[in-house]
Amino acid sequence: MAADGSVLVGRTEGVTSLQRFARRRSTIAFLMTLPLILVIGGLVAYPAVYAMYLSTLNRTMVRNIGLENFAILLDTDTFYMVILQSCIFAISAVLLKALIGFWLAHMLHDIPAKGQRKWRGMLLIPWVIPPALSTLGWWWMFDPSYSSINYLLNVFAVPSVPWLGEPWWARVSVIIVNVWYGAPFFMIMYLAALKSVPEQLYEAAAIDGATGFQRLRYITLPMMRNIISITVLFSLIVTFANYDIVRVLTNGGPRDLTHVFATYAFQVGILSGNVPRGAAVSLFMFPLLAIFAFFVLRGVTRRNKEEA
Amino acid sequence: MAFDGMSRRDVLRASALATVAGGTLAAPAVHAQATTTLRCGFWDHWVPAGNGIMRELCAEWGRNNRVDVQVDFITSVGNQNLLTIAAQAQARSGHDILSFPTWEPSAHARLLEPVDDVVGRLVAKYGPINPAAEFLAKREGAWRAIPAVSGTQQKPCLARFDLLQEHAGLDVRAMYPAEDRTGPGVDQWNWDTFLVAAEKCHAAGFSFGLPMGSFTDAVDWVGALFRSYNAKFIDESGTVTVRRDPGVRAGLEYMVKLARFLPNDVWAWDDASNNRSLISGRSALIFNPPSTWAVAKRDAPQVAEKCWTFPMPAGPAGRFTPYLPYFWGIWSFSRNKTAAKGLLEFLSDRTSAERQTTTSSGYDIPPFGSMANFDIWRTEGPPVGVVYNYPLKPHHNATQSVAFAPAPAEIAVQAYNQAINTKLVARVAQGGETIDQALTWAERELRNFARG
Amino acid sequence: MSTSTATREMPDIYHKAGSLSSERRWALWTAYISLIFAAIIFLAPPVYMFITSLKTSAEVANLTGSPWLVREPTLENYAAILGNPTFLVFFWNSVKITVCVVLITMVISTLAAFALARMRFWGSQALATGVFLTYLIPETLLFIPLYQIVGGLGLLNSSWGLVVVYPTLTVPFCTWIMIGYFASIPKELDEAALIDGASWSQMLLKIFIPVAMPGIIAATIFAFTVSWAAFVYPTAFVTTPDEMPLTIGVVSQLVRADTFAWGQIMAGALLAALPPVIVYAFLMDYYIAGLTAGATKG
Repeated sequence: MAADGSVLVGRTEGVTSLQRFARRRSTIAFLMTLPLILVIGGLVAYPAVYAMYLSTLNRTMVRNIGLENFAILLDTDTFYMVILQSCIFAISAVLLKALIGFWLAHMLHDIPAKGQRKWRGMLLIPWVIPPALSTLGWWWMFDPSYSSINYLLNVFAVPSVPWLGEPWWARVSVIIVNVWYGAPFFMIMYLAALKSVPEQLYEAAAIDGATGFQRLRYITLPMMRNIISITVLFSLIVTFANYDIVRVLTNGGPRDLTHVFATYAFQVGILSGNVPRGAAVSLFMFPLLAIFAFFVLRGVTRRNKEEA
Repeated sequence: MAFDGMSRRDVLRASALATVAGGTLAAPAVHAQATTTLRCGFWDHWVPAGNGIMRELCAEWGRNNRVDVQVDFITSVGNQNLLTIAAQAQARSGHDILSFPTWEPSAHARLLEPVDDVVGRLVAKYGPINPAAEFLAKREGAWRAIPAVSGTQQKPCLARFDLLQEHAGLDVRAMYPAEDRTGPGVDQWNWDTFLVAAEKCHAAGFSFGLPMGSFTDAVDWVGALFRSYNAKFIDESGTVTVRRDPGVRAGLEYMVKLARFLPNDVWAWDDASNNRSLISGRSALIFNPPSTWAVAKRDAPQVAEKCWTFPMPAGPAGRFTPYLPYFWGIWSFSRNKTAAKGLLEFLSDRTSAERQTTTSSGYDIPPFGSMANFDIWRTEGPPVGVVYNYPLKPHHNATQSVAFAPAPAEIAVQAYNQAINTKLVARVAQGGETIDQALTWAERELRNFARG
Repeated sequence: MSTSTATREMPDIYHKAGSLSSERRWALWTAYISLIFAAIIFLAPPVYMFITSLKTSAEVANLTGSPWLVREPTLENYAAILGNPTFLVFFWNSVKITVCVVLITMVISTLAAFALARMRFWGSQALATGVFLTYLIPETLLFIPLYQIVGGLGLLNSSWGLVVVYPTLTVPFCTWIMIGYFASIPKELDEAALIDGASWSQMLLKIFIPVAMPGIIAATIFAFTVSWAAFVYPTAFVTTPDEMPLTIGVVSQLVRADTFAWGQIMAGALLAALPPVIVYAFLMDYYIAGLTAGATKG
C-alpha cells in the first residue's frame, strides 16, 4: 500500500479529498467485510463458544454440571474406541490417499500432455459425486447377501469377505470408501504441483546422471514439500471430522467400533437426545484440530514469506 | 365424532375443491373457516401397500370431518424416525400426530397430550389393551399415546419350511398348522432344539439370518431371548442388575453358542439384511413380520411359497415373542388436539384396523386381543396360512416381550437405541472378551446412561 | 551433482541417452497400466450403481449369474423415481437451497475478498487469518450447537434453515480463493483507476470482477458442489420429507428397509449426482483451477 502514497504525492491540491477518501476507505472496507464477519462470528465463532457452554449442562439442560459430561465420556469404553477409531481412520486413510494420489499424479505427468486432460477428467469423478450418494453405491456393493465385490472375489476363488460385519473389515471398508473418494483430490493437487516444478531442474539432473529415485528424492519432493504438507494436513482435518461415509455405510457398527467423533456425537447428542453430552463429544475434536491448524498456518505463513 | 351427513359434506367438499382448482382467489371466501389442517407423521411402512391405506383412511376421515389431513411417512431406516421425534421435541413444532416406537412415548411423556378419554372409549368397545403396550404408553397414571395399529409388529419365526424339514427334521407346519391348535413336537420347541436346528442348517449352508447389529430387529429378538431366560438388565427402580443377574448370564452363554452358527457378518446387519438373506434363498429362518414374505411374493415367488410363520422357541421362563409396538401420540404443542384425537379414534376403530392389517398382508398387530381374528391371517398366501400364527393366539402360550422392560423409560430408551443387549453378546461372541468383562462393560455403560 | 561430474565424461551422456528412451518407454507402460487400473477402480462404483439402476427388483433379487451384467435392461426405475413427487420435491429443494447459497456466498466473499486484498484496515490481517481458521473448523464440530441455535430461530425442519447455515461451509474457502485471485491482479491497474477518479465500487465491478472471472467461476463451482453435496446439516436439521434436499432425501427416504428397491435407490442416487457431474463435465478446467487454487497461489 506504500505504492499508493508515492504515486499520489505529486498531486498536492488533491490531498484533503484524498485524506477524506482514505478515511472513508476503511469504513467502506469494513462495511464490505461485515457480511463475512457476521457469518463467521454468528455461525462459527458463536456456536463454537456456545458448544462449550452446552457441554457443561446436564441431560435435560436445566442444571450446570461443570465438566461431568467429559468425565462420563472418559469413563465409557465406547468413547475410547471412538478416539482410537478416529485416529486409525484419519491417519491410514490420509496416508493411503496421499500415496495413491502421488503415484497417480506422477503417472499422469508421465504420459503425453495430449491425453492428460481425458485421464484427469475420468479419475476425478469420485471426488465430484456427493459422497453420501456414492457411499450408498458402496454400501450396496458391500451388502452381505448381494455383494458384487464378493462375487468377483469368488470368481477368483477368494472366499467372501464380511465387509461390514467384522470390525476390522468394517474399518477397512470405511477406509476404502474414504480413500476412493479422496485420492483424486490429492492427485489433482500433486499434479498441479508437479507442473510447477521447472523442467530445467530435471534436465540438469538427467545430465548429472541422476536415477529416477534420485530425481524424486532431490528435486520433486523438496519442490512439492509445501503442497504435500498443506494437502495432508487439510485432509487430516476433513477426514478426522468425516461424517457421511460412516453414517451411510456402517452407522457406527458393529459394536460401535467404526464410530468416529462426528457420528458418535450425532448418536449421543441428537439421536439419544442428550445434546450436552453430544456437544462434549464433538469438542474433543478441538485440541487435535487446533494442533493441525497450527501446523497448517505455520506452513502457509512461511510459504507466503518465501514468496514475498 | 359424527360421521353422518356424509354425502352433503362430500358435495360441499367437492365443490370447494373445484373452486380451489378453478382459481385460488375465490377459494378463501367460500371455504375460509371450514378446514383445519392436521399434520401427521406416520411410520413409513415396510409392506409396500401399508402407506396407501393410511393415506386413504386419513383422506376419508378428513372428508367426513372437513379437516385437511396431511400425511408424511417417516422411515425408521437409519433411525430417521427417532431423529424426527428428537428434532420436533427440541423445536416444539412439527407434526400434530407422530408415530412413536417402543420406548419413545415414555421418554417424551412430558411433551405428549394425555389421551385417556380416547383410550377409555376404545377399551370400553374392544376390551383391554395388551399389557406390554400399556406398560410403554402409560406414564404417571395417564395414557400418553394410543397403541397404533399401523406399524405395530411382532417378530416371530419366519422360516423356509422346506429347508427346516430337510436339514433339521422339523416339520413346522405340523407343529403350528393354520388352525387353533398345536401339533406334535411343540413341547420340544425350545431354545435348545432351536440351537440344534441352527447348527444343522448352518452346516447345510442355510444359516439362520438372525441380525445382531444395533437396529430394532436385532434388539427385539435378543431382548425376547433374554426375557425367556428371565434376564433383567435393569430393575424397576433403575438399579443396574446386569452383572449379578443369573438370567443374563444364562442367556449370554446360550447366545455365544448360537452365534457360531450364524453368518459371520450378522454383527452389522440392519433391519433389512435378514429380509434379504431370506429372500435371496440363503437363509432358512429369520425373525420377522410378514413384510419379508410380502416382498418375496413379489420379487422371489419361489421363496415366498415355501415360507411359514410360527411362534418363538421357549426358554426356562416361558415363550416370548419380540414385540415392537408403535404408538400414535399427539404433541402437547399441537394446535389441533381435538381433531387429532378424532382421527386417532377413527384409525383405531375395528373396521379401520382391519383395513390396515389386511392391506399390510397381516403385518399390523392391533393392540386389542379381541382383534386377533382378522380374516387376512387365515387367508393370506401362498402358502395359505403363512401368517396364521403371526398374531399371538391363546394356544401359542406366549407373551409379548419388550427389550429392557421393566427398566425406567429414561434409561431403557438409551439402552434400547444403543443396543446394549446385542453389543453385550457381540463383545463375547465376536470380540473374544470373557463373560465377566462384557458384563462389567454393560454395567458401566448402563450406569452412565443414568448419570448427568 | 556438481558441475565437474557433468563435464567429466562425455561418453557417459551418450550411453545414458540410449537407456533414457527405453526407460521412457517403460515409464509410459507403467503409467498407462496404473492409470487403467485406477480408472477401473475409481469408476466401478458409479458404473455398478448404473447397472443396478437398470434392473428390475426381481433381477436384483436373483442371485444366479453375475451381478455385473444386466439381462433385461429396464428404465422403470428411472420412470418411477421421476414420477415420484417426493423425489421431485427433494430436487426442487436442492435447487432452491443451492441457488440461494451460491448467490449469498458469492456476494459475501467477493466483497470481503476485495476489501481484504486491497483495502487494508484495522484488523484486516486478523480477519484474513480468521477466514482461514474457519476453513479448518469442520461442520461436524458445529452441528450440535447450531442445532440449538437453528431450533431457537424456529428454522428446524425448514430448507431456509439450511440456506442460513450453509454459507459457513462455502464462504471461508470462496473468500480465500478470491483473495488469492484479487491479490494476483497488478496494483498498477487500481492505481490507474484511482487516478482516473474511479470509486471503489466501480473499481470492483469494472476491473476486479472481469479480470478475476476465472477465480469467480471456480469459487461458484465450489460453492455449488459443496451446497449440493452437504450432508451433516440436513441430516441434523431437516426431518420432514417436504423440506429435504436430495442428499439426505435419497439416503433417508428411498432406502426402505424391508422393501427391495435397490434399482430405484441407485437411480435416485445417480440422478441426484448428475448436476455436479454435468457442471464438472463442462467446466472441468475451472473446477480443477479452483481446487488447486490453494496449491498454486497464495
